[in-house]
Amino acid sequence: MKLLIIEDDVAAANLLKRGLEESGYAVDLAHDGEQGLKQARAGGHSLWVIDIMLPVRDGLSVLKALRDEGKGTPALILSALGKVDDRVEGLRAGGDDYMVKPYAFAELLARVEALLRRSRSSGGGPDTLLEFADLKIDLLSRTVTRAGQKIDLQPREFSLLECLMRHAGQVVTRTMLLEIVWEYFFDPQTNVVDVHISRLRQKIDKNFSPPLLHTVRGSGYVLRVEA
Amino acid sequence: MPGIWIMAALLLGVAGAAIGFWLARRRQRSLESLRSRLVAVTQSSRQTGDNIAHDLRTPLTRLHADVETTLRNEDSEAHRATLERVLTEIQGMQSIISALLTLGQAEAGGMPVKKMAVNLSLLLEEILELYGPSAEERQLRLQGRIALQIMVEADRQLLARIFSNLLDNALKYVPADGLVVLSATAKGGEVVVTVEDDGPGIPAEMRDRIFERFTRLDPSRTPSGGAGLGLSLVKAFAKLLQGDVRAEASRLGGAAFIVTLPAAAAGVPRPVP
Repeated sequence: MKLLIIEDDVAAANLLKRGLEESGYAVDLAHDGEQGLKQARAGGHSLWVIDIMLPVRDGLSVLKALRDEGKGTPALILSALGKVDDRVEGLRAGGDDYMVKPYAFAELLARVEALLRRSRSSGGGPDTLLEFADLKIDLLSRTVTRAGQKIDLQPREFSLLECLMRHAGQVVTRTMLLEIVWEYFFDPQTNVVDVHISRLRQKIDKNFSPPLLHTVRGSGYVLRVEA
Repeated sequence: MPGIWIMAALLLGVAGAAIGFWLARRRQRSLESLRSRLVAVTQSSRQTGDNIAHDLRTPLTRLHADVETTLRNEDSEAHRATLERVLTEIQGMQSIISALLTLGQAEAGGMPVKKMAVNLSLLLEEILELYGPSAEERQLRLQGRIALQIMVEADRQLLARIFSNLLDNALKYVPADGLVVLSATAKGGEVVVTVEDDGPGIPAEMRDRIFERFTRLDPSRTPSGGAGLGLSLVKAFAKLLQGDVRAEASRLGGAAFIVTLPAAAAGVPRPVP
């Protein structure tokens, strides 16, 4: 799978390329807006990572041009400072997700994988039943079972689990959970999200085997069956 | 006759001189007050600069020593452990710098505010629910006394950051078994939200200063790496929303942070029975 990174900071772009290549992706680089536009038009990418502040042509206008041409490749937008407006502008220009610099690579990787998964799975109708190992959740009746046994969850725990199930096998970061489940676009200074997760873990893992909800140090959480 | 004219001229001259003198004094006084304000601003910005330098130098010193020692070591496990500590220190410094940039942007009015009708009662209930488990884990009782259907014309993200910062603070500083109460009322076009506790409280002489950058009550005790910017952000965000925040002594015995915000212009809708 090939990604395109449009980022003018050459050193940062190279580091990003290296990290993504180590995670199994092929990466093309462009260092200004025009060059990025040309490469994106040439096609063949599963995702674009676009910095907003670019020489020659800014990232938002590049993305707008590509969307106007009907290109639907998922786009992750990078911005230097967390202006509230940038997020809105970025999403309006056709971005699918938005990150503020400086970011942790683990955060970027998690978001890249979430976007790729989303673009692969879109097409079918909305899922109402999600399954992972022996864990099942029904989005209509809002019920959860593991190994056939009913589990009672608070509404917010249910939303957390839904989010983790939709990204099963992929790391979901604290920031992503706060954005998706609570719709807050900032990081609290205390471990609020972790405590909600540990309550959820108590309910879905404590009396069952194997454990499904794992902490990934320095990144976030993942639902997986560990070997 | 000419005596009268001379007298009149003299009087006018004296009056003119007096007025001139008075004007000059006034100008001088306003110049003086401007000067003292400038001095205060310069001092406070110099102090802020000193504090930033201090807050960044401390982790840099640690980093320097850590990396230097590790480089003399051949063990790759030790290298890894050092790199992990380096990463943590960098994240700490990044969060200080991000907070300062946000603060500067908010205070200079450069931060766009997306105002819309927000049901503040619902938002506060959500924040309580977000913080509930953390409070419980720290053996704190977190209670809400929130009037129904308080509407404000504001930016939801900024509101959430204000109250989440205040609760982060309470969680950090109120000792175990303590009580934290989040209450909200609307009266006469003004919305008042209070976060108060039965913790150690804030000495009267610190209640204004606590909102300045890098002010910590006890500089030797900085739990969870608080840089002393959270309350400055609260103040800047409250002002962006045409509100304010102040600290007082709480009826509960600890600190009370009182946020005032203008109620939504359309008036407060009646709660649906």
